[in-house]
Amino acid sequence: MSADIDVRLFSSRSRSKSLADESEFMGTRAKIVVSPGTTITTDGGFMRGHGTYLEDENGLLSAVAGVVEKVNKLITVRPLKTRYNPEVGDVVVGRIVQVCQKLWKVDVGGRLYAALHLHSVNLPGGELRRKSIEDELLMSQYLIDGDLVSAEVQNVGVDGAVSLHTRNLKYGKLGQGSLVQVSPSLVKRCKTHFHNLPNGVHLVIGLNGFLWITHEGEAESSHFAQNLERVDYHTRESICRTRNVIISLSRYNIMLYDTTILYAYEISTDYSIAQLLKPEIQMEVAHLTRQKLQLEG
Amino acid sequence: MANLAVSDSEKTFIIHGVEDNLRCDGRGCLDYRHIELELGAAPNCSGSSHVRIANTDVLVGIKAEIAAPDHAAPDRGRIEFFVDLTANADPEFEGTGGDELGQQIAGALAEAYVSKRFLDLSSLCIVKNQQVWVLFVDILILELGGSLYDAVSIAVKAALYDLRIPKLTVSIGEDGKPEIEVSDDPHTQEPLAIANVPCFVTLSKIGSQFVVDVSQEEAECSTVNMCCAIAPNGRMATTMKTGVGSLHPDSLIEALQLAQEIGVALHKALHKQFVKAQELSGRTNGFLL
Amino acid sequence: MSGHQYLSEEGFRVDGRRAQEMRKLDCSLGVFAQADGSAYVKEGNTVVLAAVYGPHEVRGGRVKALHDRAVVNCQFSAATFSTAERKRRPRGDTKSVEMTLHLQQTFETAILTKLYPRCQIDIFVEVLQADGSILSVAINAATMALVDAGIGLRDYVCACSAGVFNDAALLDLNNLEESQKGTGLTVAILPKTERIVLVDMSSKIHSDHVSKTIEAAIEGCKDIHATFDAKIKERVGRLAALINTEN
Repeated sequence: MSADIDVRLFSSRSRSKSLADESEFMGTRAKIVVSPGTTITTDGGFMRGHGTYLEDENGLLSAVAGVVEKVNKLITVRPLKTRYNPEVGDVVVGRIVQVCQKLWKVDVGGRLYAALHLHSVNLPGGELRRKSIEDELLMSQYLIDGDLVSAEVQNVGVDGAVSLHTRNLKYGKLGQGSLVQVSPSLVKRCKTHFHNLPNGVHLVIGLNGFLWITHEGEAESSHFAQNLERVDYHTRESICRTRNVIISLSRYNIMLYDTTILYAYEISTDYSIAQLLKPEIQMEVAHLTRQKLQLEG
Repeated sequence: MANLAVSDSEKTFIIHGVEDNLRCDGRGCLDYRHIELELGAAPNCSGSSHVRIANTDVLVGIKAEIAAPDHAAPDRGRIEFFVDLTANADPEFEGTGGDELGQQIAGALAEAYVSKRFLDLSSLCIVKNQQVWVLFVDILILELGGSLYDAVSIAVKAALYDLRIPKLTVSIGEDGKPEIEVSDDPHTQEPLAIANVPCFVTLSKIGSQFVVDVSQEEAECSTVNMCCAIAPNGRMATTMKTGVGSLHPDSLIEALQLAQEIGVALHKALHKQFVKAQELSGRTNGFLL
Repeated sequence: MSGHQYLSEEGFRVDGRRAQEMRKLDCSLGVFAQADGSAYVKEGNTVVLAAVYGPHEVRGGRVKALHDRAVVNCQFSAATFSTAERKRRPRGDTKSVEMTLHLQQTFETAILTKLYPRCQIDIFVEVLQADGSILSVAINAATMALVDAGIGLRDYVCACSAGVFNDAALLDLNNLEESQKGTGLTVAILPKTERIVLVDMSSKIHSDHVSKTIEAAIEGCKDIHATFDAKIKERVGRLAALINTEN
């Protein structure tokens, strides 16, 4: 039979003050926090980045509530939450929303859908590359609405139009697994976004906040043949656990990259997978992960 | 719920998981996610509640007014349901976009509550044939993330538990007509007997298994849903089949039995918390936490 | 009711406040997971929930995308149990439509729409409890939800209601005070520059009182701004620390 049904009161929620208090001991660099309308600088020598706007008399102002970041002459303000802002070279995971003539429209969690052009994909045998065959039907045989793909951002237009490509063997259509969506601000930019975790789990961390958890077999297989074989129970457990662990970390605003996810996974083994859905367990896992990160430096 | 497209491989993964009794989030097929509730969430109502299951958020406010009874039931009070799906929950519900679904849910509730054995409204009669209490149950859907019928019915039951009807005195006036005086004293307010009020349990068929409290991805994998209103004693008030698929009679029986078991367990768990919640009624605010 | 009953000789209002005293303000951000931004604002007994979706692709045929800026789409709705007497419909009535237009005009000015060409931004406001000043609380809630969503704003938009009783300006009117005819207006400003983005006078005000009332309302808006800004900065400071440690 099923587990006991967990009914609880709202008042039993504890505020996540414990995690916040720790930050004071961590000696973080002094951050400049701004809000909409705050003047950042009146000095004219700076370039306007995301989250800022120029006003003739007043210089550079903040458009959002966030932390000011200065990289050389570029000033940006990073808010806590935002839709994905694509940059060339980003590894992303996206969902096909429409098949059009010679391109697919992909939802990457940004402001607009991204475009995956027919000439930007790797296809088996290069069938569709022949100019005479640009049929939507043939395109649908490869990718159709609802399919997930891993890709790289090829180009970002001035008007915000994004185009993707999968011209690399590691990219392409994704198979069996579980997708988790988090805020893009929690994804750390790393050298690689494809990870093989222990326990047979393969993880793709999209910079757009879409994380794909699958089994190792997927990483090695070609992205054309769909493998619909049953995933073995043990690996399935690991996939589910990884999923819940990522959700726990994101709920407590902890950056997501291989180290944090690995630490959190180890810590989570004290609990059953379903227990990781409870808010108090999530807080515990996030808290301990944070502690471990501080210790390990 | 926004139409979430899911790939065939994801569906395969989900269906195999259900067969292994290990869903994507680690739950078993018959496990609910945790349910949060509070009473007295709308203080200007006679009874109210706020319920949350994962990403589904429901607010219910009940106002009691005095009006004429239904011709068919002159000695009983009335209960009317109104379900408002807000655009907050899904931009699709802007304007009148949510009206159809709202009416469906309200209709299902009305059907589940129609029998006297689940909710006896005779205590709401003031003067037979002339004046009765009418309960306007207004349900506000603030966020939509699955198990909608279940969450709504839990919230309605909780709000009814919180409901306090003012006591009144009926006297005969000079013209021979009855005069009603409603007491202002909050300490003479009466609760309604809601021990038998049913709750909905929705079971979705994924592959060959029935699954309760489906996530949005899992909902894309099921073609048939059985939504049953179960009373605390296991009696079935109403059942609904939704979805484009069909059921073998054996599967139907299986679903009804499962719904019964789960329903009874759900009511038990709810009653325990209702008592605690009532003590804090109106003093907690789930939105500010 | 004469003006005397709204402001006693000792200077107290019906709910015990002083003339220029604002009601207690509570708010929380990120109340919902599925919207891009959300906020819950409670001013006294007026409670409003706002949700923001976007910027995203323009939806539906009726609204066309603009090539150089975002389309702002608003909806004002009030729960049927929000008022003392039950409302028949949550939206679609004249009042709600008027409120929707006010929201639209206000936020089209405040949002930096040029940053989001060809996109749409939805702002949905739901009144849970109505005890006066619903337009100003709605505007405040919408602002907080936009800040939560990380959408570019010229400045906060802070709103406040004011009215004149017995020659004194009262701030942040409750339902009883608002239902008195011949008083009451709502003002919304961009606090940094104190530029007015909305003035709504739904009843008559004697011309002698207008500027006094507007000035009082502006002070009220600045008060709201101070509270919100402090809250936002504390929240960003606290959560940003958690996100950025490992960078």
